[in-house]
Amino acid sequence: MPSIPLAIDTRGIERVYKAKPRPITALAGVDLRVEPGEFFGLLGPNGAGKTTLIKILTTLLLPTAGTAHVFGFDVERETKRIRRIMNIVSGGEQSGYGLLLVREQLWMFSQFYGLGAREGWRRVDELIEAVGLQDQRLQKVSSLSTGQRQKMNMARGLLNDPWILFLDEPTLGLDVSAARAVRTLIREWKGAVVGRTVLLTSHYMAEVEELCDRLAIVDRGRIVAIGTPADLKRRIQRDSIFRLELDRLDGGASSLSGLPGVLKAVTASDGSSTSGGARQRTAVKLVLADDNALGPVVTALGQRGSQIVSLEKSEPTLEEVFVQLVGRSFADDSEDGGSDTDGRGSSSGTDGAMADPSAPPPPTAATERMTEDAPLAATGLPER
Amino acid sequence: MTGLTPSFDLGRTEGRGLRETFRGYLTAARIGWAVEANWADPILFFTYSVAKPIAAALILVVMLDIVSGGQAPAYRRYVVTGVALWSFVQGGFAGLAMSVLEDRERYRMLKYVYVSPTTFAVALLGRGTARVAIGGMGALTTLAFGALVLGMPVDPARVDVLLFVASMALGLVAIIALGLGMAAVVLQTRQDSWSYPEAVAGAMFLLVGAVFPLAVLPGPVQAIGLVLPLTWWMEGVRRSLFPGGVSAVGGPGSLFTELTGREAPDTPALLLALLGTTLLVTLAAAVAFRVSEHRAKDRGLIDQTSGS
Repeated sequence: MPSIPLAIDTRGIERVYKAKPRPITALAGVDLRVEPGEFFGLLGPNGAGKTTLIKILTTLLLPTAGTAHVFGFDVERETKRIRRIMNIVSGGEQSGYGLLLVREQLWMFSQFYGLGAREGWRRVDELIEAVGLQDQRLQKVSSLSTGQRQKMNMARGLLNDPWILFLDEPTLGLDVSAARAVRTLIREWKGAVVGRTVLLTSHYMAEVEELCDRLAIVDRGRIVAIGTPADLKRRIQRDSIFRLELDRLDGGASSLSGLPGVLKAVTASDGSSTSGGARQRTAVKLVLADDNALGPVVTALGQRGSQIVSLEKSEPTLEEVFVQLVGRSFADDSEDGGSDTDGRGSSSGTDGAMADPSAPPPPTAATERMTEDAPLAATGLPER
Repeated sequence: MTGLTPSFDLGRTEGRGLRETFRGYLTAARIGWAVEANWADPILFFTYSVAKPIAAALILVVMLDIVSGGQAPAYRRYVVTGVALWSFVQGGFAGLAMSVLEDRERYRMLKYVYVSPTTFAVALLGRGTARVAIGGMGALTTLAFGALVLGMPVDPARVDVLLFVASMALGLVAIIALGLGMAAVVLQTRQDSWSYPEAVAGAMFLLVGAVFPLAVLPGPVQAIGLVLPLTWWMEGVRRSLFPGGVSAVGGPGSLFTELTGREAPDTPALLLALLGTTLLVTLAAAVAFRVSEHRAKDRGLIDQTSGS
C-alpha cells in the first residue's frame, strides 16, 4: 500500500472573526498532526476553539491564515475530495427533516454521497441495525427522542464509510444511557477496521480519556499540550505517588523516608490513624522516584511487622492536568461568562472565540517547568 | 458493524461527474417534494398550494368587476393568468430562498448537505425544482378554476403551443435563477430573515405586470419591469393562451411603446427579450451565489442560526 498521508495536518492555522468593537480570534496558530488510525481528542472548555478547528477541517469554514490538510487534501482547494472521505456528527442539536422517515432521510443522504439507489438502501438498513434504530426505522424523524436522533445522526455520519469521522461533542445533551450507547457505537465502528480515524471534541474529560489514544488540550485558540492521557498526567506528576493504609507503623511515616527510592513519606492528610476496633490503622502517602521503588518499601514494611491493609496509586485526573497547564478549571470559564459551547446555536458565528487573542495563556508553574525542563518537541507541545 | 469496507484508494476521492451531479439534484428535489408537499397534512397543503392562489384570483376578479362594471373580460383573463403564474414565482423564487433558511434554522441540516460531495448550488436547485412543481399545481388549479368558474375558457385551437413551451421553459429557468440570487442574499443574513423572500416576491409582483399592465407605473419603475424576465415570461404565456389579449408590456403610456413606437412586442421580439433577460439574470445569479457562498464560508455563516 502506498504511504498514506497524515489524516490531519494543520500548520499555523488561525481564525479571526470580524467583530465589533475588535476582531475575535478563535484559533491562534494551531499546529496539529494526527496519524491515520488514531482516535484523537480535542479537550477544552467552551470557547476554546475546538469547533472552529473542526469546521475548518470539514470545509465549513475558511481559515484566516495557515494551511490545513485532511489526508493530504487542502481544505480550501480540494473540498470535494475531502468531503467524499470524511463525515461529521455534531451533538447538542436537534437536526433532521422532521417529516421524513428515518430510513428515508438516511437514504437521501446516501444519495448525496453518491451511493447507488440499491446500495444506499442496503447501507442504510445495515447502519440502522448497527445503531439500534430498527424499531424506529419507519418512524418520522420528528418523533424521535434526542438520543434516537443522535443515533440517526451517527448513522448518517457513517453512510459514506469515512476515512475520518469528526465528532463534535457527540454526547452533548444526551442522558447517561444514550451517551454510553453513542460512545460504544463510536468505539465499535472505529475498532472494526484498522485505519479509521476519529477526531473527537469534548469537554467531558472522562469521555476523552475513555475513547482517545491521544489528545490535545486546547485553550483560547491554542494547543497547550498534546499526548496520550497517561503522558499528560505524567507531565504534571512525574513522581509515583502511593497511598498505603497499614495496620501499624512503628516510628511513624518519617521512618520510611530513608528507604531507597523514597523521596518523601508523610502521614496521609485524610487522617493519620483511624480507629479500627482494638487496633489503629495508619495512612501514609509515599512519593517514590518511580514505581520500582515500591517493592523495597513493601519488603521493609513486612520486616517491621506492618501489614498493608490497602494500597492505591494516586494519579492526577485530566481535569487536574488542565488546571495545571492552563491555570484555571473548566468551571472557571463558565463562571467568567465564557461563550457557549463553541457557539452552537449562536448567531454570532464566532464560535470558539476568545476576547483577547493576542495574549498568550498565562504562565503557570506547570508550563514554566516544562519549558525549563525539556525542548518543545520532547514535551509534545506545539512548536510556535 | 459488518459490511463497511475500508479503502484508502484515492480513486474514492474523485467524483463521478455529471452522474453524481444529477443524482444530487434528484435527491434534493425529492427531499424538497417530501418536505414541502406536505402530504402528511393534506388540508394544510391544499390551503397553501391551491386555495391561496384561487382565493387571490377570485378577490382580484371581483374587485376588477366592481371597478369596471363587468365590462373588462379581457382584463379578467389577464388577472387570473397573472395570479396563476405567480404560484410558480412563489414556489421557485421565494421557496428556493426559504429552503436555505429552513435547512439552516429549522432542520439544522444545511451544514450536512453542504459538507456532502453534492455541489451546494445543485442541491438548492433541486429543492427549488420541487417548489416550482408544487407551485405548478397551484397554477394549473387556478387556471382550471378560471376556465370553469370565472368564464375564461382556453380555446385549444388558438393556443400557440410553441410560444407557450418556449416561454415556460425560459421563464422557469429565470424563476430558479432569481431564486438562487435570493438564496445568495439570505445566506448572508445573520438575523431573522424569514420574511425577505416573500417581501421581494411581493415587490416583483407589482413590477412585472402580474395583475396590471406596466403602463400604469411611472417610467423608471417600468424600466425595472422591462429588465426582469418575469415580465416577458408572463407576456409570452398570456399571449400563447389568449392571443390578442391585453399586453402587460406595451400600450398607451407604456415605456415600451414610447421607446419602440409599437403597441406591443411581436412574438420574436418577446422571445428575444425573454431569452436575453433570462441569460442576464442567470449569469448574475450564478455570480452572486458563488460570491455569497464563499463569503458565507469565510464568515462562518453556513451553519449559523439566529434562533428565530
